[in-house]
Amino acid sequence: MSVIWIVAENPDWAAVLVSAAKSVSADAKITVFTPSLPADGLWEDYTPALVAKAKAEKPSLILLGTSRRGRDLAARSAALLDAPCFSDAKNLALNGNAFTCDTNVYGGTAVRTDSTTEPLVLATIGPKTFEPDPAGVAGASVGTLEYSPGRTKVTGRKPRPPQTVNLGEATKVVAVGRGFSEEKDLAAAKELAAALGAEVACSRPIAEFFKWLPEECYIGISGQIIKPQLYVAVGISGQAQHTFGIRDAKVIVSVNKDAECLMHQHADYCITGEWQMVIPALIKAVKA
Amino acid sequence: MTAGYEVSMKKIAVCYKWVLSDGDIRVNEKTRELDMEKCKPQVNDYDRNGLECGVQIKKATGRELVGVTCGASVAASAKDALSRGLDAVWYVEDPALAEVDKVGAAKVLAAAVKSIGDVDVVICSEASSDDYAQQTGPRLAALLDMPSVSYVVKVGAGGDAFTLERRLEEGMETVEVTAPLVITVSPEVGDAPIPGVKDIIGAKKKPANALTLAGIGISADAVKPRSTRVSVLAPAMSRRKQIMNPEGVSLDQAAAALVKQLSTDGVL
Repeated sequence: MSVIWIVAENPDWAAVLVSAAKSVSADAKITVFTPSLPADGLWEDYTPALVAKAKAEKPSLILLGTSRRGRDLAARSAALLDAPCFSDAKNLALNGNAFTCDTNVYGGTAVRTDSTTEPLVLATIGPKTFEPDPAGVAGASVGTLEYSPGRTKVTGRKPRPPQTVNLGEATKVVAVGRGFSEEKDLAAAKELAAALGAEVACSRPIAEFFKWLPEECYIGISGQIIKPQLYVAVGISGQAQHTFGIRDAKVIVSVNKDAECLMHQHADYCITGEWQMVIPALIKAVKA
Repeated sequence: MTAGYEVSMKKIAVCYKWVLSDGDIRVNEKTRELDMEKCKPQVNDYDRNGLECGVQIKKATGRELVGVTCGASVAASAKDALSRGLDAVWYVEDPALAEVDKVGAAKVLAAAVKSIGDVDVVICSEASSDDYAQQTGPRLAALLDMPSVSYVVKVGAGGDAFTLERRLEEGMETVEVTAPLVITVSPEVGDAPIPGVKDIIGAKKKPANALTLAGIGISADAVKPRSTRVSVLAPAMSRRKQIMNPEGVSLDQAAAALVKQLSTDGVL
């Protein structure tokens, strides 16, 4: 793994990926590509340029971020380079010529460790997996990729509205799931959150299907991964995809009418009952 | 139309993965190994949204809608997939695919799509519930030399013209593209209806076509995994799982005890 390439959307991603590269090999020759976003094309359409360069110059490892654009560019390039790609890889290591890393499987229920001796490996790295390298991209070479427009045309970009909550910083979080059947029911959860001094979060369907809460409020493997002091899950069944996002919470409470629900298995304290009954009891106890 | 000359109908191919129900995995608390005994095969949850997206594009453009899958034991998936609005299923079943990885699976799916013929719209979902690697759609696009538009949450289709909205971390992106193309959809694209009795009965009359690796020009070597699995272990997660309201304890008592406990734990 003497030659490692980094393809990043911006310098912040690049600094994280430089750390990841150095974790694999301290004396690797690192080249950083930060191709700019085309005005009316997809960033992912740098694929042919990256593939052509990689075929000519033969790096042994190409690292990208787990942003959606990063994942797409990584997968397309890996296909054309006939190479394996490890998604959201952690604990990257090199033992002799064997590259090993960990990836999450079954929605985060388990971690799979893979080993490969392929001449070229790609991997995507999560934003919080490595501390950004303090030197940034200073010690690395800078590479360039020539953009060749694809058949797609970007006709509009709308920035996401400014975030109203920062769940990453919240010490207490009350989260709601499909146990809530109407938007107006969320008032009860918000009241509980207010009594606890907590932020309100949710499972994926509440934000994506019902849109009762903004997208940045959903917790899980594809959403927010948080580590609050206290997490109160109300009416959340507790699928692995969700609990992955709260694995590092200090204390987890589950309120669910189903005593057999998975959420109870991932909680420190469980109350079995309808939220309509449990929430008022909790508010009363907190205020007592 | 001139007699003897038939214009073939263009097709939408929706790729789906036949996975084990991960909600039924149990973890051996001592060894951290996974017990998959209770798991049942099912159409990957994310792919149900992909199938429904296919149904909507069929309605809008009049294309034929087919499903494509591959694996060591996938023939049984056809009936389930066909109950979700497909006109036909094509599957590649071969023991060589038991441990197939993303490199190999994309090659098999690409070759299957080519064998089916006349496919100019390919739909994949964001990921499978088992690996959640989010690679198959973009890989397939690259191998088929079709444009890839991923993380799509809204599809506008008319004839060969597609207007797709993608949700990215920084916001929404609108993409215009003409078929052929590969669309990779996020669950937000639309909830999938649960098949009704009529759909399930109707599925039995629809064609499920078997393809072989040799038949689509893929060698056993091409689907050999490119990495070795060292281990699959659940991380150690020790939660107390204390039931606050066992029989005989009222909700008020449980709530009071919980609040006291949370104070003791220093989290209130």
